[in-house]
Amino acid sequence: MRSKAAAITAVTALVLGTSAACGSGDSSSGAGDGTIHVLVYGDAANKVEKQLVDTFNKTSKVKAVLDTIPGADYQQKLQTVINTPRAPDVFFNWGGGSIQPFVKAGLLLPLDDFIAKDPGLKDNFLPSVFNSAVVDGKPYGVPMRGTQPVLLFHNKQVLADAGLTPPKTWDDLVAATRTLKARGVTPIALGGGDQWPTLMWLEYLYDRIAGPGLFQRALGGDREAWASEDSRRALTTLKQLVDAGAFGSNYDSVKFTDGGSPALVAKGKAAFELMGSWYYSTQQDANPDFAKSGLGYTGFPALNGGKGDPADVVGNTNNFYSVLKRTKHPEAAAAFLELMYSDEFVKAQLAIGNLPTTTSTVNFLDLSASPGYSKDQYELVKAAPSFQLSWDQAYPPSAMTPMHTAVQQFFDGRLDTDGFIKAMQALPTS
Amino acid sequence: MTRAARPGAAATRPGFVWALPAAVFFLMFALTPLLLVVVLSFTSWDGIGEPRFNGLDNWTALLHDPVMIQSVWTTLLLTALGVVTQTPVSILLGVWAAGHQRNRAVLSAVYFVPLLLSATAVSVVWRAVLDPNFGVPAQLTWLFGDGNLLGSKGGAIGVLTFVGVWQFTPLHALIYQGGARAIPQVLYQAAAVDGAGRVRQFLHVTLPQLRNTIITSVILMVVGGLTTFDTVLILTQGGPGTDTTVTAYYMYQKAFKGFDFGVGSAIALVLVVVATLISLAVVRLSGYDRMRGTAEGL
Amino acid sequence: MRRRPNVLAGFGSLVWLVLVGLPLYVLLIATFRTRSDYSTGGPLKPPARWTLQNYLTDLSNGFGQDFLNTLTVTAGVVAIVLLVVPPLAYAIVRARGRATGWVFRLFLLGLAIPAQAVIVPMFYVISQTGLYDHLIGVILPTAAFCLPVCTLVLTGAMRDIGPELYEAMAMDGASPARVFRQLVLPLSRGGLSSITVFAALQAWNGFLFPLILTQSDSTKVITLGLYDFQTEHGVDVPGLLSAVVLSMLPVLIVYLFARRALVQGLTGVGGK
Repeated sequence: MRSKAAAITAVTALVLGTSAACGSGDSSSGAGDGTIHVLVYGDAANKVEKQLVDTFNKTSKVKAVLDTIPGADYQQKLQTVINTPRAPDVFFNWGGGSIQPFVKAGLLLPLDDFIAKDPGLKDNFLPSVFNSAVVDGKPYGVPMRGTQPVLLFHNKQVLADAGLTPPKTWDDLVAATRTLKARGVTPIALGGGDQWPTLMWLEYLYDRIAGPGLFQRALGGDREAWASEDSRRALTTLKQLVDAGAFGSNYDSVKFTDGGSPALVAKGKAAFELMGSWYYSTQQDANPDFAKSGLGYTGFPALNGGKGDPADVVGNTNNFYSVLKRTKHPEAAAAFLELMYSDEFVKAQLAIGNLPTTTSTVNFLDLSASPGYSKDQYELVKAAPSFQLSWDQAYPPSAMTPMHTAVQQFFDGRLDTDGFIKAMQALPTS
Repeated sequence: MTRAARPGAAATRPGFVWALPAAVFFLMFALTPLLLVVVLSFTSWDGIGEPRFNGLDNWTALLHDPVMIQSVWTTLLLTALGVVTQTPVSILLGVWAAGHQRNRAVLSAVYFVPLLLSATAVSVVWRAVLDPNFGVPAQLTWLFGDGNLLGSKGGAIGVLTFVGVWQFTPLHALIYQGGARAIPQVLYQAAAVDGAGRVRQFLHVTLPQLRNTIITSVILMVVGGLTTFDTVLILTQGGPGTDTTVTAYYMYQKAFKGFDFGVGSAIALVLVVVATLISLAVVRLSGYDRMRGTAEGL
Repeated sequence: MRRRPNVLAGFGSLVWLVLVGLPLYVLLIATFRTRSDYSTGGPLKPPARWTLQNYLTDLSNGFGQDFLNTLTVTAGVVAIVLLVVPPLAYAIVRARGRATGWVFRLFLLGLAIPAQAVIVPMFYVISQTGLYDHLIGVILPTAAFCLPVCTLVLTGAMRDIGPELYEAMAMDGASPARVFRQLVLPLSRGGLSSITVFAALQAWNGFLFPLILTQSDSTKVITLGLYDFQTEHGVDVPGLLSAVVLSMLPVLIVYLFARRALVQGLTGVGGK
């Protein structure tokens, strides 16, 4: 089946103009009766996914096949195949808005039945994380990698030289920016060229000032939320920081993804950077000495008079496996998902530097490559009253570009508060 | 040239059959998808459900979309800048490389290397070179200031134009080199006898003789300019704001980031139509399509 | 014909050499540096310590299979182009009918179709024919999108064959097939080699079609491998750039040998 010969026959048929008769047949759907296809974002974490597929195949009659799609265009590719016979049985996603269109199209299997049979599929995960794959009250995903909260990183040496300690409050941070600026250091590195790092600042300020509720209301379709007093205050507060030159002047030409902004911090040209927890391994790869002794981190500072809990975090809650309705082997898919809270899974994820979000993770933290860092993060996530999924993942995919554009223009001063509010109100919600 | 063929000649002319395989193949894998794009442009489709016809909705939305309108202007601007900057450089370079001196041959081997790099590689390399903190701008602050090249509209468009010159000049210079080598030496000798210097020879012999080459090269530049995509994706992501959101990139954003394939298809069609009109205009004005051979073209 | 040296041209060519050379220098030099050296020293400094590690890492990351796949795709695309374009160009240059004129205009129109514009329907055409995730499914559309430029180039080259040569063969009562074989093909060798080079470059550097139309490791091409590399290793610029250099080497070698032919072929492009 699906051999080269068949392909060549098909082409010949095509060239002869008989293509209509030569459909794809059923050769495409899940080849035979014994496999489920697992589609995953292709990157370094794949070795754990491979390992688990192997483990699964040792005992299961239905065999799992792992397909990976490289990088940033995963979502695009997924969208193209998901409603065709080429669709996988189980696939990687970011929860939230990323699966919403699929749920609306009725393509995904609600996991209620699985959970009824094995409550562990829900109870063995941290609730704040599990919840970000709940759509319209039904669970659609099981966490399958590590959590990535956003932290405020800093260069210890630069702070020490300036006589500063890591900021606990927003006022500390603003004061630190002034001191650093006077010393000729860019206070905060920002990869504005990538656009999404800029968004992280808004996510935290909205949480600290208005609490997590405002964004949830906005996401639910309440456009007035953006025009509220709290929203304006968050914007003004951030704008003051930008205007004070806290991010320098050339952040639009700097990217995180090509190593630009991490290098600024590692070399002491900048003091702070707000970034996902993967920042630690980024620095470890690019600037090992700095990562070992010079890199510090804290949660995002508290803000006096704000409604948000200073323990709230934002970021990528985790990645998830979701199951398609059309799968021929739901039991096998369920069995595969159950591996996601196994000890083997937790250990393997920790070994490659990911922080899994099972309740059992705490027992294995010593196995992590950097136990201290993993522990801090785990405590942070576990203690967080709210873990807000990144805005651009929480909204439907069609909102991403206009959102990024508005954020960048707000930082550049080309949209004022009103303009930004209008742009956010115009975003498509569910 | 008379159209009446000499007796017997007709038999040696190839029939339409010769064009058929290519035509059918092209129909299958380029025009059929294009036709489907036309259909999709009248539907609302997120790529997963069934496309739903929505009449002219996409088109009216586009007409009122300021980003779309801006993107068309940006695209035309970048295309015009591309033609205006690349043409002189590649003519000069091509004519220069057409000389048979040994050093020219060696140097031009280096000059044409960018031709071999994929657009992705070109963009990645230039990002590294232009990095405001670690690249060239940091060494030449008197020229670049704070190095915020991609932070302003002018800067970002300038960078895209410059990288375009770097990336595409080699191909066009090669074309001009070929064209220049084909110019009969007698013309230069005659001009020299008339006392024409190097500059006048260039203006009065080389340029007119390169007319057709210039037309071809400009068509390729226009089409390339209108469909600029990779460099925008990697260098500016359409920013700052939407300042470098060219039409091809906007289509990509709508279709593959926002999963609005209906609007995406409509944008794609706008692009195809504009590019076609411009190249047809150039072809028509120059009589390129009617010209069958050098001799017949005279 | 010996003239005084052209100072202005010499100066201009030097400026251009710097402009072309600088990024190439950055590209090359970065591949011999460690990642931390690159990130502390910036892209312009020569390596503190030369290393081949980047290349070794790339090679151990399964570049071999990708390489073979790319080679297959390239060979396939070139084969199709060489099969269908020469007869087409011949027909365009010599046929009398209106139909061929329209075909030529059709291909000129094809110049203006960006591949991104048709990628969605393309996916359906390819998956409906059962070619999804087969290299042939990448080869066919890639070749189709090479046709317009190749046709333009080869038509230009064939126009340079003087009418008297055709007439001479007509006198002998030669069939179109014989004219094609004995006159047209040999005399447009330059054009043929340029379309070969063009098609090969397109196939070798192609990204969008393989990205959308394949998914397995067994059908992965080099450009996708590069992309993989970028996402897997995050911001490892030296590793990425050495992968770029590796992927470019074969093309560079071909280019060095085929340059003369390429230049000759492009002579025909302008109809001059």
